[in-house]
Amino acid sequence: MKRIQRRDKMKIFGDLLSALHSESATEKIVLTQVQTKINVPYDRLKTYIAELVDLGLVQDDSSLNLTKKGIQYLREYGRVLDFMKRMGLSYR
Amino acid sequence: MYEVERITVEVVSAVACFILVRFMIKPFRLTGETRYLGLPLGFGFLGASYAFSALSYSPFFDFTNRGWVQLLVRAFAFLFLIITYFFSKSEKKPRLLWNTTICILAATLTILTLLAIVSPQVSLSDYKFAQILVRGFSLICLSYIAIYALKSHMERPDPTTLMIPLGYILLGIGQYSALTWAIDKSYFAFFGGLTLRLAGLAVFLFVSYRTFYSSEKGE
Repeated sequence: MKRIQRRDKMKIFGDLLSALHSESATEKIVLTQVQTKINVPYDRLKTYIAELVDLGLVQDDSSLNLTKKGIQYLREYGRVLDFMKRMGLSYR
Repeated sequence: MYEVERITVEVVSAVACFILVRFMIKPFRLTGETRYLGLPLGFGFLGASYAFSALSYSPFFDFTNRGWVQLLVRAFAFLFLIITYFFSKSEKKPRLLWNTTICILAATLTILTLLAIVSPQVSLSDYKFAQILVRGFSLICLSYIAIYALKSHMERPDPTTLMIPLGYILLGIGQYSALTWAIDKSYFAFFGGLTLRLAGLAVFLFVSYRTFYSSEKGE
């Protein structure tokens, strides 16, 4: 059986921002779909979103949206992960 | 002999390494994991050793144990790089072990460097032999890293992940040429080694710029 790798918070935040960004193209973000995408329990997902709002990466008005800072972070996150992959380093 | 050329190559190598540190620190800054700290430390110390080498060839700089400091710093640079790759895939190894290893290496390097500068009498007499040992050690480190990076590429084949193993292989062959030069004084090996080192560093710079800047322009 394949072992599921443990993710740290930074990786979960990255995955969550990425999922929210891709979901933001739809009319309204459905949290259960985001939950399925990033594979975390619903209660913990709410906590993570609250932390992202506190950090100013996500805004929670009528719908969840990435702020300018959140989009910048997501871009940098993607670039660094790509760089690590190119360097032959893994990040769980 | 060829001192101007040597100083030029050492200065260019040092500048390239210091530019690379700016990119290599990003994985550590993003993840906060000390196991990635070996990359900027490795390239930083490698740059420092090249800068030291350039100074040692210039007529304006002179102190007895300059060669020893350069050897120590270079050996530890490769040690920092190899432990980064060694710990990279290890999820079972606790964070405390990574932190302890980094701290021990940094402390050992500082103590040995200070000893080489402050108390020259503790240094070994046979510098040439130590130089061959350090180059052999560097070659082993670079071979391990190149094989590791190639294995990562084989696991998830992607044309973009092939450049870095190539960079490490070029640095490795450069070290092998330097080792050959240290033993038989072949000038073909000497210039070949310097050229391959520059080519290896150029590959790292190319990959870094492509990752962080070409995507920025495309947005």
